[in-house]
Amino acid sequence: MKSTLSILALASFFGSAAHAADKTLTISVYSFAQDEYREALYDPFEAICGCKLVVETGNSVERMAKIEANAADPVIDMAVISTQDALALARKDLIQPLDSAKLSNFDKLYDSAKDPIGDNMAVGYTFYASSIVYRSDLVDISSWGDLLGEEMAGQVALPNITTTQGPLTLMMLGKSEGIEGDLSPVISEIGAHSDDIVTFFSRSSELVQLMNQQEVIAAPVGRFAWGSFKDAGLPFAWAEPEEGQAGGMNVMVMTKGNGNEELAYQFMDYWLSTEVQTKIGEMLIDSPANKEVELSAEAAENLTYGADVIESLNIMPAAEVLDKREGWVEQWNAEVIQ
Amino acid sequence: MFRNTREGLALALPAAIFSTLLFLVPVAILLSEAFRGTSGGWSLQGYIDFFSTPLNRTVFLRTLKLGALVAGTAAVIGYAAAFCIVNLGPKSRGKVFGMVVLPLMISPVARTYAWIVILGRTGIVNEAITGLGLSDTPLRLLFTETAVFLGLLQLFLPLMIISLVSAMENIPRDVIPAARVLGASWIEVFFKVILPLTKEGLVIGGTLVFTGALTAYITPAILGGSKVLMLETLLYQRVNVSNDFVSASVIAMILIVMSFSANLLLKRIATARN
Repeated sequence: MKSTLSILALASFFGSAAHAADKTLTISVYSFAQDEYREALYDPFEAICGCKLVVETGNSVERMAKIEANAADPVIDMAVISTQDALALARKDLIQPLDSAKLSNFDKLYDSAKDPIGDNMAVGYTFYASSIVYRSDLVDISSWGDLLGEEMAGQVALPNITTTQGPLTLMMLGKSEGIEGDLSPVISEIGAHSDDIVTFFSRSSELVQLMNQQEVIAAPVGRFAWGSFKDAGLPFAWAEPEEGQAGGMNVMVMTKGNGNEELAYQFMDYWLSTEVQTKIGEMLIDSPANKEVELSAEAAENLTYGADVIESLNIMPAAEVLDKREGWVEQWNAEVIQ
Repeated sequence: MFRNTREGLALALPAAIFSTLLFLVPVAILLSEAFRGTSGGWSLQGYIDFFSTPLNRTVFLRTLKLGALVAGTAAVIGYAAAFCIVNLGPKSRGKVFGMVVLPLMISPVARTYAWIVILGRTGIVNEAITGLGLSDTPLRLLFTETAVFLGLLQLFLPLMIISLVSAMENIPRDVIPAARVLGASWIEVFFKVILPLTKEGLVIGGTLVFTGALTAYITPAILGGSKVLMLETLLYQRVNVSNDFVSASVIAMILIVMSFSANLLLKRIATARN
């Protein structure tokens, strides 16, 4: 018994000594495409840095809650989130400004990705366009306003206001009716058409299912989900509405006082490199924010790619979403969901 | 049964510790959030806020209505089915009872998705409606209260039938024929003989079905979506979309109170009939 305990104690000592020698970086990322990320990003980075990556996944709310709950002693070193979530963390003083001098690939980024939320609190690593996916054999979409037209009544789904796509859809529906700035009339308009809308979805995967079951023939969706539609066997098309496409960006942030900044910068820089961004783009995981990336025609077709496309996106400022979201949700609950 | 109370306590202790540490304490901590004010003290503000919002009131009333409708319909269908089952021969009874229990062995997710196939625009019901010329275009059946009602009823009906079969099996065999011989109509037999003698089964079945319908998540989420929110789907939204644990705790507390109230009410009704 004594010898067993001694062996256990010895093993525990060497184990902890070895662990202390290891460098570990804890990252918080979206749940999707983790096998692909492991292949394109995590494994190569671990080989380069001689460190261990601890990958935490979950939805944005869960991941932000974890960052906030561990603010005094951060568990997460860096995270990738939406611009509005990044701004929410910045306002709560949970993330720190980024030193662009420590990112050798910083100058290769599109200008809009360099400081998307101000004060150098975040850096963009991917863009996404948002438009309307529709059944080209049943309907033709030329404007965002078509979603609320009579022809489409009872066959359209819209994203819930609480999703990233929700405010973008409001903005583009507003544009189609000449409404800029205050979006409350657009919510009222959706409320008036509530019975004509099949459902308000929270995840693009729900929409894929609804469209494959032919419950819905048109709906706004992020380009990142296009791959799920184009191979579905039904004639789906990606609309190019006259008001243009909406768009957004996901960003990298560094938690405040994590004590692991050097390794986090090394990882962020590696992720932003032309090599990794190209690999991730070719695997159709994320669209590149690095303007030096050159994608094959097939990858380019499926992603939000190229200066022309990115510069033409209608991007809603993160501050606007964050400042107005509560009011929008309240009005949405009263006029649309009710 | 035991030589002394210590033996009994010792046997119950592991289960008691397990339940206390891993169920009662976490639930108590979670629910205590529902009585926390913004300043940290005890408060009922969460409940006032909840019921002052029109959407929440609508969701609360819809949940109550659908729960009661599902439990009531399950009781009506359940009595008829249970009466048939207990009057079958032993072999047939086993087979039919097995068919009643079988859906409980299938995942609620699979059972609910089956309704999408049935109620969808290209589903069996709409094909029949358009095929018979009752409507030119498919009807909107999914994401309606009707869809949620059907899904919940199918999900929980077996629980009512099992409870009622169990209760009816305990009715003495000659009581119903005796009532009939003495001139009672079938309606009188039901209300004056069967119902009083199966009230325990009805209370158990009613509580199981009602609380099941209140607390089901998958079925309202899939068949109702955000257009037919119920308390459980609202609770999920509060946690996963808004990160609002106080509001979620309030909803959890309301669900618990509704479940206990339903059980007490059913017991009271059963007692009153005596």
